[in-house]
Amino acid sequence: MSRNPYTLRTSYLEGNEVLRRPYQKVLVGLILAVALVVPTAASTYFVHLLDLCLLSAIGALGLMLLTGYCGQISLGHAAFLAVGAYTTVILNTHVGAPFTIVVPAAALFGGLLGFIVGLPSLRFRGVYLAISTLAMHYAIIFLATKYQAEFGPSATAGMTIPDPSFGSFVLSGDRPWYYFLLAVVTLTTVGCMNLVRTRPGRAWMAIRDRDIAAQALGINLARYKLLAFVISSMLASISGSLLAYFSNVVTVEKYTLDLAIVYLAMIIVGGMGSILGALLGAIFITLLPFGIDALFGYLPRSWRFGSTLFGVQAGAVGICIIFFLLFEPKGLAEIWCRLETYFERWPFRYRPLDTARR
Amino acid sequence: MEFAATVVILTCTYALLAAGVVILYKAARVVNFAHGELAIVGGYVFYSASVLGSDSLWLAIAGALVFSIIMGVTIYMSMLRRLVGEPLHVTILITIGIGIVLKSAILIIWRAERLTIDVGVAPALRLSGGASLSYMDLASVAVTVLFFLALYLFLTFTRMGIQFRGTAENALLASQRGVNVDFVLALAWIIAVIAASLSGVFFGSRAFLSTESVTIGLAGLIAALVGGLDSLRGAVAGAFIVAGTQYLTVRLIDPVLSETVPFLLLLLVMSIRPWGLFGTLEELDRV
Amino acid sequence: MRRPTLPTSAAVLIACAFSSDQVNAQNSYVIGYITDLSGPLADSYTPTWEGFELFIKSLNDRGGVNGKKVDVVLDDDGLKADRAVAAAKKEAERENVIGIFGLSLSSTQAPVFVEMRKAGVPVVTTFSGILDALPPSKPFSYSTGVVFEVAGEAIGELLPKIKPNGKVVGMTFDSVGGRAAISHNKRMAESLGYSWDEVLFPVTTSDFTPYAQAAVEKKPDIVVGHYGSGQNLGVIPALRRSGYAGPYVVASYGVTEDTVRQAAQRAGNDPNVYYVTRYSTVYDNTPAVMEVAAAQKKYGTSKPFSSMHITGWVLGKFVEQALTACGWPCSREKLDQSIQHVKVDASGLTGGPIEMSPQDHYGPSFWRLYQWNETARRMEPKSDWLKKTGLKFPVQ
Repeated sequence: MSRNPYTLRTSYLEGNEVLRRPYQKVLVGLILAVALVVPTAASTYFVHLLDLCLLSAIGALGLMLLTGYCGQISLGHAAFLAVGAYTTVILNTHVGAPFTIVVPAAALFGGLLGFIVGLPSLRFRGVYLAISTLAMHYAIIFLATKYQAEFGPSATAGMTIPDPSFGSFVLSGDRPWYYFLLAVVTLTTVGCMNLVRTRPGRAWMAIRDRDIAAQALGINLARYKLLAFVISSMLASISGSLLAYFSNVVTVEKYTLDLAIVYLAMIIVGGMGSILGALLGAIFITLLPFGIDALFGYLPRSWRFGSTLFGVQAGAVGICIIFFLLFEPKGLAEIWCRLETYFERWPFRYRPLDTARR
Repeated sequence: MEFAATVVILTCTYALLAAGVVILYKAARVVNFAHGELAIVGGYVFYSASVLGSDSLWLAIAGALVFSIIMGVTIYMSMLRRLVGEPLHVTILITIGIGIVLKSAILIIWRAERLTIDVGVAPALRLSGGASLSYMDLASVAVTVLFFLALYLFLTFTRMGIQFRGTAENALLASQRGVNVDFVLALAWIIAVIAASLSGVFFGSRAFLSTESVTIGLAGLIAALVGGLDSLRGAVAGAFIVAGTQYLTVRLIDPVLSETVPFLLLLLVMSIRPWGLFGTLEELDRV
Repeated sequence: MRRPTLPTSAAVLIACAFSSDQVNAQNSYVIGYITDLSGPLADSYTPTWEGFELFIKSLNDRGGVNGKKVDVVLDDDGLKADRAVAAAKKEAERENVIGIFGLSLSSTQAPVFVEMRKAGVPVVTTFSGILDALPPSKPFSYSTGVVFEVAGEAIGELLPKIKPNGKVVGMTFDSVGGRAAISHNKRMAESLGYSWDEVLFPVTTSDFTPYAQAAVEKKPDIVVGHYGSGQNLGVIPALRRSGYAGPYVVASYGVTEDTVRQAAQRAGNDPNVYYVTRYSTVYDNTPAVMEVAAAQKKYGTSKPFSSMHITGWVLGKFVEQALTACGWPCSREKLDQSIQHVKVDASGLTGGPIEMSPQDHYGPSFWRLYQWNETARRMEPKSDWLKKTGLKFPVQ
């Protein structure tokens, strides 16, 4: 699914293949089959967590394209989720638009805003760009707060959104949502994989690795950087809009800088520059607090209460970021690749000729 | 008068933060996003040390100093040392991670308690119009001036300071000439954390310490960027500009916007003079 | 090649954690409690939980309800809505709780109310409740707490006890809750003949002096602060530094007496600090407050004893009565029915009973003005309990 660094390629065209080996196709089929069966066996609570994973996977894919592939660091991802959520709210309360119009509209509006936010990237990079996305974050959250306080039916409770409906079918409950989101994530993943293996992806990677060299190669920097911003913010906006429908309530307090950092953590933990990494990272980081909660369940009661252990939970994301940056900079995707290579060569550790490229 | 006093005191808090950011960038090419967290944790340590030492000011200062040294060395030796030569965004991300861990330390050690540092809060100076300045306010101005003066003397006249500047200029060359680069970079971290802790203490006496007050780090970062990431003079100028802008936004435009306007100002400065007001042109990290 | 040990083992650990089902002893009432124990407002919500826990501990030591113990499943939401919803779902499905209590800020309550309404689990919030509980009350949604809108009105109505007329300046940070509270405070104050002005500041404010100076410049006769503990600690000294010596009202959104004491001391043992609260302060020597204090001594708490503990204690009494009426075994539907007829005698803890009805899931609330006493270093009541009832929101 991702570029396996241990694979020897003998022609440039091979780099275009998504699933090179026959067993990979089997594996993907197997994973999809398991994904389809899981909700029938698991509890609603677990399916709910999976829904959250799928929702964040869409946003993480978007950020991966922007940061992992194009190398543009962004601290404004939470604001784009907010843009999607508030477009949904506005279209629902003031226009009464149906789901099938709202989500594309949210994507469109998010993309438009992404274009504007991407403009500074034509002049800045690195820390300067990070700060300019941060400025945008504060501006958008300010507007959202103002909107919610002045137009909300009950300001404190946030804005409620009805369950989406397609004709007579109402999308409600964790299991139906799971299948819907699974389809969306699968489509998004395929789309992103196709993007990164074709011209835009190649251009983004060239820009990431050395922008001046990329320009010398004839890549239009402005065009591809803006494209990365637009697509990334579109995906974030879609994710925000779906999350709004999923949870039925939108409140501005959700879209903090911490949330943007959580998304960055997803792509770091997953592995920069890997679509598979975005998916793995989204699942890992989303489940992390719940996993720690569940582990706490084994501790004696008297230990659990009081904020000490909850503080540990709050720090876990930070520890993950530090751990992966220091010890596993290519993230979970790299671990996956190692596993793949390990099984491929089993029971030997090396190929007959050590052609593996590190 | 009130206006001037408030802006000057705010400038001091921001200038100390910005100085830390600048020192780290200059010496180690690290943009520290955990500076606010370091400042606030420093403030908490000062508080706890003063409580443990039964309100002894000297014990509190010693506690905060020891914390700063240990913290600076630990961060450098355990993490940033391994990332020398990595792209800038990696160091940005790791400092974000450090920030999260420090924030959870506030939760675990101080149980997220909101605290104020009550040393020297009695009014010391009455201004016209009923306003007053506390001893701590005056101390913050004096300490900031002394800090920058000491830093200037250290960098200009001591052997270590010259080695420091040499490392900042070209680490590879410096190490080849026998400068202990590890020591210099660890020292940079120590100085930066001390500056952060100082500003955290002043901040804790004027506002309050909590897990949310870590956002002052952003103000310091903006100040450093406005002034120029590699200029200590710029740190002061940037701090003054940010403090002044914030204050004027509160009084003239809309208080709610006072955290956003400095960012917009920064965008403006960056589009005209991306290297900041006092930064060097060659440091340009712009396309 | 490094072996993928740590991440894999972590994944395995998480996997086993998910697969385990907590076994509930089916001879006790199992209820859920969700609140912010690690987020930005943990210092306000932890004491409320502790007060609730004190009551449940003493209740279980007395033998429980209907001869059965009460078992509380505690979950942290870190002030995040998605974690609150997931915790509620987990408690509802896996722990099979019959009701969920506590909850943190309004933004986390709203989605929990929505989800639990679908699941048919009654939810009783004890803190800044949202309008769902107020008439027209939505099913399964109850509150015994401080609703921003109601608190804003109550504070407006108590202003004449401080000064009969003049200019009121409201301060809050730019959040939806703050804006809601301040707009209702404004409406009430203006209808009582005060003139009104306000200063809003960003949530992530670093230094309060500029905002305090902006407020002082408006020449207020009374300043009201609609925010949590930390802001009061910052704003009160900043106002005094800026030359304002007039009355300042602390609206109790999780602000503890300890905070007011600290803030007043920082401002030079300021006598001009007032405090509006729905539940009694720890300085009230009523027998009921003494009982809470005794329990606090017996079982201990991590946070200093405050009116937040009393708030949690009252919720405990509420639970006891609802469960008593529900009988054994108690289902969610039965609990919901019995909650609708709860009438808790909270004398000494607030101005009157906590009373629910099928139409009104909030009931009358009582509010009182206290003043910080410089010499006695304690708070003293400056008014009787003000009863707010029959509220309709939003007000047109």
